[in-house]
Amino acid sequence: MIKVDAQAWAVMVAHAEAKFPNECCGAMIGKIDGDEKHVTSAEPMENAYGGAQGARYELRPEDLLDADKRARAAGLDLIGIFHSHPDCDAYFSKTDLENSCPWYSFVVLSIKSGKFDHANSFLPNAEQTAAEKEELLWPKS
Amino acid sequence: MAKVLIPTPLRQYTEKQDSVELTGSTVGEVLGALTTKFPDLRKQLFNDEGKLRSFVNVYLNDEDIRYLKKDATAVAAADTLSIVPSIAGGSAGVAPPPLASLSNDEILRYSRHLIMPEVGMEGQLRLKNSSVLLVGTGGLGAPLGMYLAAAGVGRMGLVDFDVVDFTNLHRQIIHGTKDVGRKKLDSAADTISDINPNVKIERYDTMLSSENALEICKNYDLIIDGTDNFPTRYLVNDACVLLKKPNVYGSIFRFEGQATVFAFPGGPCYRCLYPEPPPPGLVPSCAEGGVLGILPGIIGLIQATEAVKLILGVGETLVGRLVLYDALAMRFRELKLRRNPECPACGDHPTITKLIDYQEFCGIPHPEPPQSHGLKDGEIDPVEVKEMMDRGSPFLLLDVREPHEYLICSIPGSKLIPVGDLPKRVNELDTATEIVAHCKTGVRSAKAMDFLKQSGFKKVKNMKGGIIAWSDKVDPNVPKY
Repeated sequence: MIKVDAQAWAVMVAHAEAKFPNECCGAMIGKIDGDEKHVTSAEPMENAYGGAQGARYELRPEDLLDADKRARAAGLDLIGIFHSHPDCDAYFSKTDLENSCPWYSFVVLSIKSGKFDHANSFLPNAEQTAAEKEELLWPKS
Repeated sequence: MAKVLIPTPLRQYTEKQDSVELTGSTVGEVLGALTTKFPDLRKQLFNDEGKLRSFVNVYLNDEDIRYLKKDATAVAAADTLSIVPSIAGGSAGVAPPPLASLSNDEILRYSRHLIMPEVGMEGQLRLKNSSVLLVGTGGLGAPLGMYLAAAGVGRMGLVDFDVVDFTNLHRQIIHGTKDVGRKKLDSAADTISDINPNVKIERYDTMLSSENALEICKNYDLIIDGTDNFPTRYLVNDACVLLKKPNVYGSIFRFEGQATVFAFPGGPCYRCLYPEPPPPGLVPSCAEGGVLGILPGIIGLIQATEAVKLILGVGETLVGRLVLYDALAMRFRELKLRRNPECPACGDHPTITKLIDYQEFCGIPHPEPPQSHGLKDGEIDPVEVKEMMDRGSPFLLLDVREPHEYLICSIPGSKLIPVGDLPKRVNELDTATEIVAHCKTGVRSAKAMDFLKQSGFKKVKNMKGGIIAWSDKVDPNVPKY
């Protein structure tokens, strides 16, 4: 189960809506306690995908490395990656799966006509052949 | 001793240590020492062939070892190694795997698709669940309709209001000689059903217009533009941008063609490439300029390929790239296209929020009621021209077509001066003689008449409907082309 704090959630949704109709991406930082992941802050990152970004995103490893360093310095952990799906549902696509990594939670935000619609979290396997859905809790306003 | 930083999720394999000190003089040695010490970590970082997994990047301090010497990169005692995943993804037009299934007959039919992992069962089901709108069942629509049907696209909308004509047959291979005179919709639907009876065909016996475009296009995943006029191209583009549906574009002229994918979310649209239409009449249509019969096969199949890739979510699409094809040189070129943030349709602050009057936008007068029977100023009916000939009235019949058209057919006694040569050959004409100009259908000879009148010729007329009308009304032995 992954739980996202209100402030972190607001940052993720704002970033996703601001980048619409393109996809956005970023990292989620927090603490892991047994099976429960607790996201306390979110870091928007630049979508580094070279082509049209309406349906693609790419994280720069350097950005991820920096985020990991900052998290370590603060005694926190990098626990998840978030990205948006403009005008389509928050599924884990083939593209998502084939470019994923099994170590993190992958939160997908569906943004429809520029506004947040719904979200899901996924846990891909090491072979990048399947992703399990993970319970996602966010503050409902 | 070099330090290796362990990402949080991997600490379960390193006895919860967030960093590990290891010896080794190269990156390869250090990673080897790491996985020897913590064997469970091996599967996380390396695949069965012992290679680093595709998503694993290793950084030496702040540098990616791929850009240093990879595994052989030297490591000093004060260095820090970090393990960083590479992460990307995106909706990429790919919906989750559909739930429908294939019948045994379909499995047999699509077996050469199914054995390719890039298509497979999942891809074939995507095709079956997909819907494509073909705007036009002519030159481009013919190969598109036939191959997309064969490939297993589940539902196909066809938009056409035209009737099959003999002049269509040299390229519109979805129609046959037996179909001349039939509605293109019926003829195309018959061919498609014959190729693949599993395709659900939806017919729109109409011209795509601002009134019906959104209503029709909204029912399909992809829109494929196979038309050859500017108002419809802008109409299809704007409808696709408004509906956020990809517009698989192709165009052909003489020996050249173009293809790309417009209006893909985040990518450019037709208006980013061509903000304004050309002045009416500047770019000739295939009917006016001709087209190599084979050409639409190539361009239509580039469009079909892009459609299949978009449906399957595989490969690199033409979003942001315009392919230019030159059949005579047999050369493909590519232009990069970018979305224009100022674009009135797909830009950051779009001003086109609904469909407009595209005839007016392209400067084309609304089609007049079919064939007004009266003669316009300066026009003369072919029957009257024939009467003048029979009476022996002195006049010059001036053919302003091209020499290769003159070889197809001509009216006896006419003098050939192509309209483009008139300015330099005008001295061959006498202002005292009455002149009747003609071309194929009357458009070029109207221009010629205007030019001659401006040059001081007062007694000039334009034969209405050109040599085609002559064949219809005066001499059916003259072939129509």
